[in-house]
Amino acid sequence: MAIVTGSRRTRRLRTALAYLALAALVAFFLFPLLWILGLSLKTRAQTFADTPVWLWWPTFEHYADVLFRKDFLKAFLNTLIVSFSAVLLSLCVGVPAAYAFARFPFRGGNALFFSLLVMRMLPPVAVLVPMYVILSDIGLTTTHLSVVLAYTTFSLPLVVWVMRGFFDDLPVEVEECAWIDGATRRQAFQRVVLPLAKPGMVASAILCLQLAWNDFLFAAVLTNNDTQTLPVLMAGFTGGDSGVDWGPMTASGVLVILPVIVFSFMAQKHLVAGLSSGAVKG
Amino acid sequence: MSEISGAAPRPLVGLSEAPAARGLPAAPVGRGLQRAPLDRFFLPLAVGPTFLVMVAVFGLPLLFSLWLALTGWSPQQGLFGGEFVGLANFEDLLSDRVFMASLGVTFGFTAAAVLAQMLLGLGIAMLLNLDLPGMRGFRTALVLPMMVTPIVGALCWKLLLDPNHGVVNHWLGTRIVWLGVPETALVAVWLVNVWHSTPYVALILLAGLRSLPHEPHEAAEIDGASRWQVFRHVTLPLLQPFLLVALLLRTIFEFRAFDNVYAMTGGGPANATMLLSMFTYLTSFVRFDFGLGAAAAWLMLLMSMAMCLVFIAVLRRGGPR
Repeated sequence: MAIVTGSRRTRRLRTALAYLALAALVAFFLFPLLWILGLSLKTRAQTFADTPVWLWWPTFEHYADVLFRKDFLKAFLNTLIVSFSAVLLSLCVGVPAAYAFARFPFRGGNALFFSLLVMRMLPPVAVLVPMYVILSDIGLTTTHLSVVLAYTTFSLPLVVWVMRGFFDDLPVEVEECAWIDGATRRQAFQRVVLPLAKPGMVASAILCLQLAWNDFLFAAVLTNNDTQTLPVLMAGFTGGDSGVDWGPMTASGVLVILPVIVFSFMAQKHLVAGLSSGAVKG
Repeated sequence: MSEISGAAPRPLVGLSEAPAARGLPAAPVGRGLQRAPLDRFFLPLAVGPTFLVMVAVFGLPLLFSLWLALTGWSPQQGLFGGEFVGLANFEDLLSDRVFMASLGVTFGFTAAAVLAQMLLGLGIAMLLNLDLPGMRGFRTALVLPMMVTPIVGALCWKLLLDPNHGVVNHWLGTRIVWLGVPETALVAVWLVNVWHSTPYVALILLAGLRSLPHEPHEAAEIDGASRWQVFRHVTLPLLQPFLLVALLLRTIFEFRAFDNVYAMTGGGPANATMLLSMFTYLTSFVRFDFGLGAAAAWLMLLMSMAMCLVFIAVLRRGGPR
């Protein structure tokens, strides 16, 4: 919608008001993040000064401290392992299913498809209670595998939903040509469709990675000190109020959110489809 | 282009009939005997693993959870070692003052958070949809919070609201313990949820606004409608399917809110921020009363399931056309 009505003066006034509103919104949405970034670059004395310090020479001592801490590095590694495994598992299992849902409607397919959506929408804590009891009975709690399995409850539906939308948009003629040339369904899927679907797979992988990276609840219950992920480590920081040293805490916080912000911007085009489980494409 | 997908499945085009109809050999159907199992069972092999994973990580746990809810299970017992107690857990739950209060807090919180997110999100989407220079930058800045790990976002706000060294108290010249007083704690958790999740709504609605046809707006303007009238009688009705999707999704997701509350208040003070997720978590994993926890989990499930069914009904009706 362009601003077309009104005289030139009122038009200018409207533009100014729009920018003012946007600036106020940006201040609200961005300030907490910038403040934390600032805190992570302050010395202890500057952080706890009586009046907040606005201009200072940044110190990187907290980052140096955090990056050499064993628990941080271990949690970082754990987060990488479980999020990538969950994404890989969900892609391998979910992409062929999404293709089948998009191209070969079958009896009960719709019910199965929508129950995947339900799986994504139900409260994780409700799935976690029985899952924990079962996993601890077979001795799997505190392993990476248990967290990976738990993450498939949200990443598998996400992959199937986003990829189905992607396959729906892919012209069917592409496979028809392959079939006419004598390719079987599997060959057409493997050699023709999959290469074309690569961008969609990358996007859904990133969306799942984002969810897995950010998850706290499953990891909090299903891991111990050896297998804990970054959000669990961060939650440990928040436990002890003002007594905690804010420097390492904020520096770790920045290091945790940096990768996920980078991923998210890489998949920006698909963000809307991902966060609405494919209900709305962006 | 934006659209609501997931409506009726597209008709089966060109699978078996199309090549044959054109007088071409029907490749995928004809040579059944020579085909490898991978081809003959393509459909079950494609969908089977998803089905199996769903049953394993979702179906079975939920059934087991129903069993748990009907027993007095404790961690020392084997999987099915709990004693069957019928509906006693549900009765306990419904007479538990904390649980009943938590129902109220959850509904109130969900309604307040979703309402604020919808209003603010609509405003942001309208602003970002203006054709002004620099909008890409504003858009990037405004969607940033939803990418932030919720636990870290909550931690940011906890430091801002810190009673002694927080910048909020410094600006206001007060010493309020924001997270230590029931009323302000609930407002603080609400504020953080609005901060974190409004961008979702804004992005969905922005996608919606961009997909709307131009003609109705132009026609209304030519007919002399004021800006408010255009918004009220043209934009809003056209945007309705997107508003509905955003509203339902946010309701479903706020209803299960957990991370912010855990990091900021842990359900306190005086259970003021005890959302249902928090209650279920504490009952199961802190008090280790898994029977009661599973009962609470099942009540939550039933309520979310109802919301999901509404959502699916909306999707299947086809969305914006």
